[in-house]
Amino acid sequence: MTVLAWCVAAWLLGMGVYGMVTSRNYVHLIGCLSVCQSGTYVLLLGIGFRWGAGPPIFYNHPPGTPAVDPVVQALVLTDIVVGAAMTALLLAIALQVHKRRGTLDTQHLRPLRPTE
Amino acid sequence: MTALASQLVPMAVLLPLGVAFLLLALAHWLPPRGADAIAVIISLLLIVFCGWLASKALHGPLVQWFGAWAPGVDRQSNVVLGIAFSVDAVSATMGAFCALVFAGSFVFAWGYFDKVHAHFHVLMLLFLAAMIGFCFTRDLFDLFVWFELMSVAAFALTAYPLGKSSLEGAFNFTVTNALGSYLMLTGIALLYARTGTLDFVTMGRIIAHQAPDPVIAGGFCLIATALLTKAAIVPFHMWLSDAHAVAPSPVSVIFSGLMVGLGLFGLLKLIAIVFIGDAQVMALVHIGLLWLGVATAIVGGLMAWAQRHLKRLLAFSTISHLGIMLLAVAAVDSKGVEGFLLYFVGHGLVKGTLFMVAGILLARFNSIDELELYGKGKRVWPAGVVMILAGLLLGGLPWGVMHDATDFVHKAGHGIASVIAMVAGTSLTGAAVLRAALRIFLRSSGVPGVEFAAPTEREREQRDRPLWLMLLPCVVLLAIALLPPSLVESFTHHAAEGLVSATSPSAGGGTLIAAITFALTIAIPAVSLLRKRATRRLARVVSDIEKAPFRALQTLHSGRVTDYVVWMMVGLATLAALMQLR
Amino acid sequence: MTQRWRLVLLIPAFLVLATAAAAIILGLPAFGHPLTHYGTAVNTLAPALRNVSNMVAAVNFDIRGIDTLGEESMLVCAVTATVILLRGHRGEDGSERAGLIPGRANAARSDGMVLMCRLFATVVFLFGVYVVLHGTITPGGGFQGGAIAASSFILLYVGGGYQPWRCVLHSPVVVGLEGFGALAFVLCAAVPLAFGYAALQNVLPLGTWKDLYSGGLMVIVNIAVGVAVTGSFGVLLIEFMEETRAPKGHDEKEGA
Repeated sequence: MTVLAWCVAAWLLGMGVYGMVTSRNYVHLIGCLSVCQSGTYVLLLGIGFRWGAGPPIFYNHPPGTPAVDPVVQALVLTDIVVGAAMTALLLAIALQVHKRRGTLDTQHLRPLRPTE
Repeated sequence: MTALASQLVPMAVLLPLGVAFLLLALAHWLPPRGADAIAVIISLLLIVFCGWLASKALHGPLVQWFGAWAPGVDRQSNVVLGIAFSVDAVSATMGAFCALVFAGSFVFAWGYFDKVHAHFHVLMLLFLAAMIGFCFTRDLFDLFVWFELMSVAAFALTAYPLGKSSLEGAFNFTVTNALGSYLMLTGIALLYARTGTLDFVTMGRIIAHQAPDPVIAGGFCLIATALLTKAAIVPFHMWLSDAHAVAPSPVSVIFSGLMVGLGLFGLLKLIAIVFIGDAQVMALVHIGLLWLGVATAIVGGLMAWAQRHLKRLLAFSTISHLGIMLLAVAAVDSKGVEGFLLYFVGHGLVKGTLFMVAGILLARFNSIDELELYGKGKRVWPAGVVMILAGLLLGGLPWGVMHDATDFVHKAGHGIASVIAMVAGTSLTGAAVLRAALRIFLRSSGVPGVEFAAPTEREREQRDRPLWLMLLPCVVLLAIALLPPSLVESFTHHAAEGLVSATSPSAGGGTLIAAITFALTIAIPAVSLLRKRATRRLARVVSDIEKAPFRALQTLHSGRVTDYVVWMMVGLATLAALMQLR
Repeated sequence: MTQRWRLVLLIPAFLVLATAAAAIILGLPAFGHPLTHYGTAVNTLAPALRNVSNMVAAVNFDIRGIDTLGEESMLVCAVTATVILLRGHRGEDGSERAGLIPGRANAARSDGMVLMCRLFATVVFLFGVYVVLHGTITPGGGFQGGAIAASSFILLYVGGGYQPWRCVLHSPVVVGLEGFGALAFVLCAAVPLAFGYAALQNVLPLGTWKDLYSGGLMVIVNIAVGVAVTGSFGVLLIEFMEETRAPKGHDEKEGA
């Protein structure tokens, strides 16, 4: 149990990369990139977790009750914005590539070379 | 005065950010060249401001804690809670240089992007703000945030022309660098888990007091992978040739001149401040990074020689010179830092000039292919003079900033491998540029060599800009590159010692090696251009043998993003294996 | 490279990385027993020093506020980039007829649906504003609230169709929201600097614990981020919906 969270994070990263390498479609590749990112979320949030502690919001509990690390939660918030930005950009690129080339096959799309 | 300087440090980032947002909000109502003018003025202001910060930072870094969250705010513990900007002289100089190249790029791009509502200028100003923030910060996650902002702006600017190749090049660029970012985030998480802080100086202290640890080592490998991907070091380098070849010329100037070198600067800062106390990591740095630099310099040089698309040629020459800069970083001593700073500045100036010349050729002749442009350059002969001079500087002309920088890097280097790498990289890249310049402007031999099989494409760029306006930034940048560095020698010396104070004995023989390099730079294109078409059997056999390794290298650089990801994983595994073997 | 060669290179790399990952996993602190001086210090100090009860908001908008400024810039940058990419060579003159695409159903809207959409658009928008304003007390904040408020724009489109939607949402206004919101955040950082304090220092009165106004400058920063995010998502939605308008002859020419 003590290492499950780290193993899940490593597995997500590994599977995301494997999916990217064996991908045949740009949109599938972008999805695999998001899987890699989920691995980083799991790792960051797992690092801040403490057994028996509550959320770091002291509205109903007085300050001083045990709470998990708020810093990693703020880091994950930033990470989500980064991920959303990248995914939106990549999908917009994929849309325009599809309009111009008619295909999204990763094996046929290479810059500066005519399509095979 | 130092207190005032410390107080005003954040303005270097807040000013371009604020102006960029203002431009975005008012884009609908601005006059056509208004955005161009504002961008140039802001860049010039930043050059002056960062230069002033650099002069004030010589005696000690200027520190400002955001939100006044300095350590000790609670008067109980000394936990570092906030984020600081810690500006030493090297960082401030890098910031000023970034603003300089941006100013040149904005002048070059005057009138290029006037069909859109100032979007180009917004993206470029955000890019500039991110670069300055990246140089100034003292917090690991803040470094990541500015790194990401740089990346997103770069992705957008690459895809800007919306041509087929631009979009695919931008896709390759985005996917590889996004994967690098997620690896960097994993590394940051590991370091935070082990040290409990995100501040460089505090982290460095904690790491120096601990025994070597797989978590710290793993964190270093992951962060190094991300920064080396941005810096296009073998085997993480393949995205660069795609991205630079298809981006608009003003943007390629920034990429090659600034963005990729900043990846190495970030790595240097991290090694010098955070990881300097960890013996396991430092062993990897001295040996592993050295060999990566050697490989990069040689592969970059060979591939640059084998290109015919001018921007792709210049992209590979950038990769080669980045390998040489990595040799300076791997030494981690004050000579290495001084060499890195001078090399960054010199290479940035020369490469920026060359990309602008490529842009001029593209705008005038609707082509960027060396063999297609054969002999057409007579009408723009001033650009030819600039290109030949820049090529000579790139190849080791014994004058100016780059020569001095190469000298320092050589003195900091260790071993015969780095000497061979520097000679090969410098001479091959200078030779490639000279060959292209001689073909285009002087009608030298049109017999194609190994570059005939290289990938290329028809392109065009905005035509109606006056030649003198496009040449002006080229000439200014080249003139700065030709200045004798003895003018700033004491400044760079003190600045470098501010970052890393250790020194090691210098390697000798610098003058002889510089002479050999320059001789090769002249000899290689001469031999290549004097040859005749291979009609006889022996000549054909020799020609085929010559083409084989280049063809193999070209096939490896396949242009497919899935291959690039595989090579990134191979590179990360190599770093991990080297770390575990120590 | 063929698929086989890619896997021949990738599998050994993964094996090496798996051994390295195993060493790291065993070296990390046990799950649930972290080494967090930083987090504990924030939890202990921030409620007293800043009168806020949401620690994550305190970290985001005050203690590590400059990170959030960089993040906001990244969002603006990404949205600008996506706008450039989606707009293509179509231009942005915005004709105001919805496109009729053969084969795609274009059913008339019932009055009940239009009424419901208008009601709920208002409710959702107000809920977004509520989440933004209470960011320093309960979970929420500028980013989350801004995204909720922007989703009310979609309800306007669903209820009214393309033409009325474009009448309500003018492109310069939404872009102005985005730009001025982000500029407000930069000013929150720059104005204390001009008066001799540190950048982004909390110079306003701190307010009362568990009250709507608590945290001083954090409230302003929160609102600025909320406005900017609403604007950003609005710009993005306009670009998506532009894909559905009537094309004017040949819209997308190929790039060179």
